[in-house]
Amino acid sequence: MGNWERLVWNQREVLLEGFLVTLHVCALAFAAAILGGLALCLLRMHVRPLRPLATLLIEFFRATPIFVQLMWVNYVWPELFGWPNSFFTAGWVALALQSSGYLAETFRAGIEAVPRGQREAGEAVGMGPALVMARIVLPQVALTTAPAIVNQFTVIVKSSTLVSVITVQDLMFQSQKLVNVWYEPIEILTATAAIYIAFVFAVSACGKRLSDALRRRFGIGSG
Amino acid sequence: MFSDALRESVDLSLFWDYREVMLSGLAFNFHVFAASATAAIALGLGAALLRVAQALPFRVLGTLHVETFRNAPDYIMLVWVHFVLPLLLGAALGTRIEFHPFASAVIALGLVYSGYYAETFRAGIQSIPRGHLEAGRACGMSERQILWRIVMPQVVRRMLPEGLNQLVSLFKATTIVSLITVPDLMYRVSMVTATEMKPLPLYTGAALLYFAVVFAAASLVRLASERWRRRILA
Amino acid sequence: MDDMPAIRASGIRKRFGELEVLRGVSFDVRRGSVVSMIGASGSGKSTLLRCINRLEAPTEGEVYIDGVPMGFVEDRGGRRRARSLAEINRLRRDLGMVFQQFNLWPHMTALGNVIEAPMRVRGLPRAEAVALGEAALEQVRLAEKRDAYPAHLSGGQQQRVAIARALAMQPKAMLFDEATSSLDPELTEEVLAVMRDLAQRGTTMIVVTHEMRFAREVSDEVMFLHDGVIEESGPPGQVFGAPRSERCRQFLSKFIGQAR
Ligand SMILES: Nc1ncnc2c1ncn2[C@@H]1O[C@H](COP(=O)(O)OP(=O)(O)OP(=O)(O)O)[C@@H](O)[C@H]1O
Ligand SMILES: [Mg+2]
Repeated sequence: MGNWERLVWNQREVLLEGFLVTLHVCALAFAAAILGGLALCLLRMHVRPLRPLATLLIEFFRATPIFVQLMWVNYVWPELFGWPNSFFTAGWVALALQSSGYLAETFRAGIEAVPRGQREAGEAVGMGPALVMARIVLPQVALTTAPAIVNQFTVIVKSSTLVSVITVQDLMFQSQKLVNVWYEPIEILTATAAIYIAFVFAVSACGKRLSDALRRRFGIGSG
Repeated sequence: MFSDALRESVDLSLFWDYREVMLSGLAFNFHVFAASATAAIALGLGAALLRVAQALPFRVLGTLHVETFRNAPDYIMLVWVHFVLPLLLGAALGTRIEFHPFASAVIALGLVYSGYYAETFRAGIQSIPRGHLEAGRACGMSERQILWRIVMPQVVRRMLPEGLNQLVSLFKATTIVSLITVPDLMYRVSMVTATEMKPLPLYTGAALLYFAVVFAAASLVRLASERWRRRILA
Repeated sequence: MDDMPAIRASGIRKRFGELEVLRGVSFDVRRGSVVSMIGASGSGKSTLLRCINRLEAPTEGEVYIDGVPMGFVEDRGGRRRARSLAEINRLRRDLGMVFQQFNLWPHMTALGNVIEAPMRVRGLPRAEAVALGEAALEQVRLAEKRDAYPAHLSGGQQQRVAIARALAMQPKAMLFDEATSSLDPELTEEVLAVMRDLAQRGTTMIVVTHEMRFAREVSDEVMFLHDGVIEESGPPGQVFGAPRSERCRQFLSKFIGQAR
């Protein structure tokens, strides 16, 4: 047990610091992915001239492996666009790209799942298209897709381990640094794995509770 | 400056010059993929059967397996399997053990994806109405016959679309094995970049190549699942 | 002015591609009267209602609400131009619509459903909309369910909330499209009771229904729609008692136990 104390417990501040960076990266990526996903989805569905471009981007983000995207954003984008200018930014942007592709499809399925009659009921009381979208369609999409959105957050957390490769100092990075200091990987890596697993487990459990609650309250969503 | 960079990224001739190196790297992605897919499906089926077993200890074990591996990031599992597991096994057996990177990659990805597959299998198994099992018993079939003749064929049909999608995800996950020096495509790209000092065309080429493979596979899966769904759920 | 019909349909035709569903339908609905629309499945009843409030644009013909055409405006020079969507939306407020599938918005409470349009479409302040909404819920006898979400209401209650939602816009007329067809018999009665109530208060109503007893008791006029035209129409006593058209007689014979 002495090893655990020396290698893990006594290093808790370093690990915590890393974990906070992980949270930071994931939160930025998550927020950007939701906005980007919604934008891509609405462009694809409602803006005819931009549909091919939106579709291409969605498919590209979804079908390219996250590690490849990360390397691509990190090495190619700065030369191509002069941005991002830090590893940290490259990290969350790459995570956001992939998830925005997935969320765009999630949102699309959510919008298509709102029954036609729901919109017509709005039109029948004199609501215009924008009002129908804002007050009837999107709130329902938010509810029905909430579990999938939470699930996407777990995907982001898992993928976020890779940003350590471009030297973003997240939990994975700190843990590997400790391994390189002590040359005793067992406790450090096991503890790190356990932290990630517990965190992802907790987030998924929240997602499950959320979808149950939504079903009970509004009778919508399938889980 | 912008247009130079743009031209360079569109000009993939450098990537093309190294095509043989790159393709043999891609072959490693496929090897890791094939081996870990096999492991994931076999382990996943086992874990799913544990989860639906009658005896509580089995169910606990199955649940533990699933919740551990499907919640674990691929990368930490890869590192853990490569650097920790050999030490633990070595201590247990009293010898020094080291894993070949390829073996570590297959074990790690196999474990992670077995967690996903177990859930898919379980959902498939539990979607089968009790009546089907009872009908089998009523005809005097043994439990084993019921499993293989009645349950599994339906499970496979139901889980096929999701199972195939997970194969696509698994293939995408194989791109991280370069991080423990399996010489896959990404590994080759970083090696060539180190000598050529031109990341732009090399990483763009790799991204496009992976995109082409994954997009083609995913499209096939989509097509197949749609047909499949129409055929069984019509 | 007083004999201007509340709703006038004039020569309505509607085709979906090759299929001509409505083939010239004209009728007037006097203010305060109840018109029941009956006819076999597929005869075009829903399509007709949807053309009246322009959920579908008629291929030909025009609908007038209190003499105002839904589809076009005439400028001083007598030239016609098609109305914009915003204008149509404005006119639609005068027609309350109740759907077979209720179509309550699941993410809003009963009261939320009812006050949504008064607030967002008519721009009433919240307090006023709530007062209006509570009165409407009162009218359908659901005041105590104001804070319930649709998922927690029975089908009959949901349909009554949907009626209240339409009433809260204080429309000039109400359109009912088989409002009870997806309800169990025991729930049908509570919805019909609310509709009877509305009729007695002098609400102008067009009711598409398969409830022949209701049509007979409540309507001022019954129209039998067949194959996209009004095959027969008249006071209920005549249409149910002595239908002139053979098709109408055949159609009614299926309901014989119920209608007489
Ligand atoms: N949007 C549409 N596109 C194509 N055909 C349609 C559309 N809406 C209705 N139809 C067709 O128009 C015909 C009349 O439909 P409608 O719904 O008006 O009948 P109905 O009299 O209301 O029948 P029911 O009693 O079953 O409700 C049907 O043949 C239907 O298939
Ligand atoms: Mg109808």
